[in-house]
Amino acid sequence: MIRLIGVELLKLRTTRLTYGLLATAATLTGAFAVIEAARAGSGGGPAPLSTASGLNDVITAGIWALVLATVMGVTISSGEFRHGTATLTYLATPHRGRVLTAKAVAGACAGAVFGLAGYIVALGVGLSFVAARGYHVAIGDATLVRYAIGHIVGTALLAAIGVGVGSLVRSQLAGVIGVFAWTIVIESILGGLFTSIRPYLPYTAASTLSGTSPGGSAFGPAHGLAGPSPLPFAAAAALLAGLAIVFCVVAARTTVARDVT
Amino acid sequence: MLLGLVRPDAGTATINGRPYRDTEEPLHKVGAVLEASSFHPGRTARNHLRVQAMVGQADPSRIDDVLDLVELTGAADRRIGGFSLGMRQRLGLATALLTDPELLILDEPANGLDPEGVRWLRDLLRGLAADGATVLVSSHMLAEVAQTVDAVVILDHGRLITQSSLAELTAGGTVGLEEAFLGLTRDSRQEVPR
Repeated sequence: MIRLIGVELLKLRTTRLTYGLLATAATLTGAFAVIEAARAGSGGGPAPLSTASGLNDVITAGIWALVLATVMGVTISSGEFRHGTATLTYLATPHRGRVLTAKAVAGACAGAVFGLAGYIVALGVGLSFVAARGYHVAIGDATLVRYAIGHIVGTALLAAIGVGVGSLVRSQLAGVIGVFAWTIVIESILGGLFTSIRPYLPYTAASTLSGTSPGGSAFGPAHGLAGPSPLPFAAAAALLAGLAIVFCVVAARTTVARDVT
Repeated sequence: MLLGLVRPDAGTATINGRPYRDTEEPLHKVGAVLEASSFHPGRTARNHLRVQAMVGQADPSRIDDVLDLVELTGAADRRIGGFSLGMRQRLGLATALLTDPELLILDEPANGLDPEGVRWLRDLLRGLAADGATVLVSSHMLAEVAQTVDAVVILDHGRLITQSSLAELTAGGTVGLEEAFLGLTRDSRQEVPR
């Protein structure tokens, strides 16, 4: 199994798409972090950077790493069908369940890299603005480390969910569009209409792992809408891990077992 | 079906007595070239072979050997998306040969090859067979097949029509393989009206 995970990681490292998605995640995170930081403390903008809430809003820009790590996860599994490489993969490893497991684990490892990169960019922007304005850092070191771990765990688990989703839909385009539609539109609408279920929505749950408020990761009118308190760290992580397992098991029982021609 | 990619409605297919799925280290037993297009277009030929060497536990030094064997050394660091059909066929063969399998299964291996390439392929396959490998080629190009193979299996509409040595089927070379094929399949279709 270790070798199969290594194979999947080598596949990721030898395609440009992986680096493109990582660069996109870092760029979007940086751009949104700079916008949030520049607006902080102004009328109608986020809270001042001298406060924990203001700095937290800047760190929240790391949600782009969550979205793009999920997309990366989808491409790991659906890409095999898009490019017809599933044939070679299954010839090398006829036990398809093992291939899917290796992909989910490799996706989680790569997702963690996305999370780390996104957090470093968002926190770097936040701390630069804090330093430039001569404020003290309003969030303690221990909390910042906890947020970092949460962000890495969140991106890793969302990427693994992406692998399961990509295996189920098999169409790369549909899978990628589905991820953007779910995270940006559907969760924002569902979370805005039914605030009580908000902490249980996967992308929102992943974002709360790194200290984002349940409304902080929403887009459109639902953004910043006060909602119930987020799930405890372990519960949110367990929810995401459970979803990743469910998607992968369902895929293994259905689409993955289909004929490859 | 033989390689476990498609589930048969009925029956079983085994290689050396075992279903492909239960074969340990399958790439060391069987090398297959099925579709010319099944490579990631963004990966270079060398990186593709690195992945295959890792999954098949082949010595990485074999990568240069097989690239040389299929005459792709010069294109090793180019992305496969820019390869011609013939180059993909060669890379497919390199992929299959990387793990030094005992059995090669090739589907229309001469597809996309130029006349020089066809000659090269014929010599390669004969050389592999002479070295003790078993090579199973499925093809519609009977004139080409007749120049390469020892034994022939004729399938028509999913049914086995005949299985014999090439010499027997062509009456020691007096009948062409194409004529023999057309005659046999015509007879079998008359027997079983469709």
